[in-house]
Amino acid sequence: MGRGSRVGMSAFVAFIVGVAAILSLLLGDNPALFGEQPGSDELARRLALPGDALLRLVVIIVAVSIVIGIANLLFAHIGRLAQRKFTSAVLLASFGFTIYWYVTRQGDTSLLEAVQVPIESSLAALLFLSLAQGGARVMQKRADIWGMLFVVVVLVVLLGSLPLAELAPVKTWSDWLMAVPVSAGARALLLGMALGAIVAGARALLGQDRSYRG
Amino acid sequence: MSEEFNWLDYAEPAESAPEPPQRSGRRRFLPRLPSLPRLPRLPGRPIMPGLPRLPMPALLRRRRAEATLEQPSATDLLGGHDERPLDELDDRLLSLRERSVASAQPSAESRQELYDVDDVLVTPEILEKPGGVISAVALSKAQQQQIELLRDIVGGAPQANEPSGRRLLRAAPLFSLSAVPRIIGTGIILLMVSLPFVSPDFAEGERPPSDFDEDRHGAIAVYNLLDNLSTADFVLIGFEYGPTAAGELDPLADLLIRHIVAQGAKPLIVSSKPIAIVHAQNIIREINRSVASAELRLERGSDYHILRYLPGGSLGLRELSENFADVVRVSAKGELTGLVIKSLSEMSLIVLLAEYAEDMRNWAEQVMPEADGTRLLAATGYAAAPIAQVYADAMDEIAGLLVGYRDVYTYGEKLAFNFGELPQAQPEVAPASPETATVPPVETTGEQAAQLERVLSTAFPSPTKTVLPTATSLPTTTPLPTVTSPPTATHLPTATATLETIRIVEVISPQQVRIRRGPTTADDILQLARAGDSFEVTGANGDESWYRIALSNGLDGWIAAFLVEERMVTAAEFRSGQASASANLADERVILWLESIVSLGKTRPRFYQSDSPAPGDELEYIWMRDRSQEAPRLHAMTFGTLAAILLIAVGNVFYALAALRRRGREAQSE
Repeated sequence: MGRGSRVGMSAFVAFIVGVAAILSLLLGDNPALFGEQPGSDELARRLALPGDALLRLVVIIVAVSIVIGIANLLFAHIGRLAQRKFTSAVLLASFGFTIYWYVTRQGDTSLLEAVQVPIESSLAALLFLSLAQGGARVMQKRADIWGMLFVVVVLVVLLGSLPLAELAPVKTWSDWLMAVPVSAGARALLLGMALGAIVAGARALLGQDRSYRG
Repeated sequence: MSEEFNWLDYAEPAESAPEPPQRSGRRRFLPRLPSLPRLPRLPGRPIMPGLPRLPMPALLRRRRAEATLEQPSATDLLGGHDERPLDELDDRLLSLRERSVASAQPSAESRQELYDVDDVLVTPEILEKPGGVISAVALSKAQQQQIELLRDIVGGAPQANEPSGRRLLRAAPLFSLSAVPRIIGTGIILLMVSLPFVSPDFAEGERPPSDFDEDRHGAIAVYNLLDNLSTADFVLIGFEYGPTAAGELDPLADLLIRHIVAQGAKPLIVSSKPIAIVHAQNIIREINRSVASAELRLERGSDYHILRYLPGGSLGLRELSENFADVVRVSAKGELTGLVIKSLSEMSLIVLLAEYAEDMRNWAEQVMPEADGTRLLAATGYAAAPIAQVYADAMDEIAGLLVGYRDVYTYGEKLAFNFGELPQAQPEVAPASPETATVPPVETTGEQAAQLERVLSTAFPSPTKTVLPTATSLPTTTPLPTVTSPPTATHLPTATATLETIRIVEVISPQQVRIRRGPTTADDILQLARAGDSFEVTGANGDESWYRIALSNGLDGWIAAFLVEERMVTAAEFRSGQASASANLADERVILWLESIVSLGKTRPRFYQSDSPAPGDELEYIWMRDRSQEAPRLHAMTFGTLAAILLIAVGNVFYALAALRRRGREAQSE
């Protein structure tokens, strides 16, 4: 099959499946849309079936892809063992040990709490240090009015978060910053994401959104 | 056109139009579909007449040559993938391609505008060869390291004449003077965060209140809705956080789950993150470890359920809302749960523990539209709070929001207060000792007595009623905290006793006011008071900006003078008013407390070791958790924030001054 045919076919399939899913999710299980007519319940139920089936299909594919991803990761690192990659050996040993632990200890998952939670929590804590260091160097990188504004806002919000009665006036400013500009920004982000999702979905359905590689 | 990757290929496009990319000699099984006629281009729209096909970088070409059929690499797959011919691209894609090529040119401006990343990504310098022809890109050592590491990652072999990434890293100095300020800053933060754990003297900052302020409607709603659950209720818990957020969200999850199971309701835990499922199991294991008696431990499959993982992120959540009956049928271990629940609307509540704003968005947009009246309570960390707050404000289905560790503290205090302590004794009747406190005799009349009788008869049928014949013989409470009176208090004249008048203060602030352990805002909060509450004054500090007052439980507290109005009343008037208020309060709390037993006693009590609590029985509470580290953690947060503020302020002042000096010198030299 030629490239043009393939592209046309994939766009066609995407369009049909997408429209079917949207219509099914929109009209299915909603007998009120069809009025008080006999059989409207059954019609609404039937209309929901394609959407449910497609949704389950996607979920199953995602689940299977996770399994494939794990297998691929393992095979890739087994291949790297031949190149004497120490990190791959550690990864494979950890994988095997975790499986062994889980199986021999009747589903004990304490390794997660003993190893992964402390490590990831520590990494998250490092983020605080990095942000503080970055915040201290804002004026080194951008010594202008915007950098200054950024630093002032950061300091006001941080001071406002301190539980000290002496800082009550600052807390008022901090609360205002969080309630008005931050909330407005968050709402704008959400609106933008929603509009972007609608546009991206429409473009994908109409076959316009394809990478230029095909 | 050079075959090598060269920056100047972008800066100076080929003069002659390159030959259009031809497809390789693959066989076509179907004839190419005829192209649709193109729409006329808008006038003035710049379209590049033709773009050069980018040559493959040498590294990729080598990798492609090294790859074998048995061991194909990602590079090989990438290299083997034909690009779409340019004539198949529509105007929009051509324009995008044109822009992407143009943006790849490093310009002088872009070097200046690389805000905060130029330490990491150093723009390559263009070297001039002796002949005057610019044709090479000089890479810094750091860039060479990065390339070598990247080569390691993608499986490329190190080049024979080039030092490997690891050798370069090893050769890099472990310490440089430029790192000293960063090391000092980090050290200061770590030191300040550690201090509260080392010594209790480092306890800067107010602790959060023991009850949510009146304006925290959402947090109050969370508590009240969970507190009204009963044994017939199911609560769906969206456990959407993993180990990264465990430090912040584990205490919240622990408290909310304890509250739910303490009410006798059954949590159904579900997640779109596989690791969160495992973590939820471990949280419940920790809850069970904190309960001494095996009878009270939560059993999987009867007291709670952990449902299967929902793959697909937002699509998985959509499936949860659309096919709820199927999702609840299977547990995370693949076993049948035996639950027959048709839809989300049969859930009494939905509780979401969200690490990211994205989780909140997914639940609000994919799950809640199908919830059909079931309300959602959200608990998030500080990072997700701004977006979560927007949803909480905008959606009626979201009843409340808890954020971060300060809410954990208040929630825990409130839960402990409401379930852990019995109604406080009046000092005249049963003075509280530091060890125990008993419930005073409560004189009830009329409607209150009838209500008590009704509750008691429901809670304790005839045999049990002999154990608890009246509301006055309730079990012993947990030890009350001891209070040390600050030595600086100046006692007021005692002549009031002989004149049968006493000095009292009445709260005039329209908002709740805090009664503290000492005459400063740094002291712990003992309890809250509302407008109209009155207390006997037993002392004041030096400037009388704080009054020491006698609380109804026999302890002394301190209240700020500007929040109250002082006056003199006769002792008899004050006692009668207090007794009436205390009796009402005590009655209400006895009723509430007994009603909680009634609801719990329907199936299996979660609060007591025995089904029929008798005086002297030791109480064991499912909600009890180790809270010994909560206060140091709160103070550590305060100290850590203080250290960060200092670091940011000092650092930026220093750099701003340095920038001013530099600009002054530049201005002088010009």
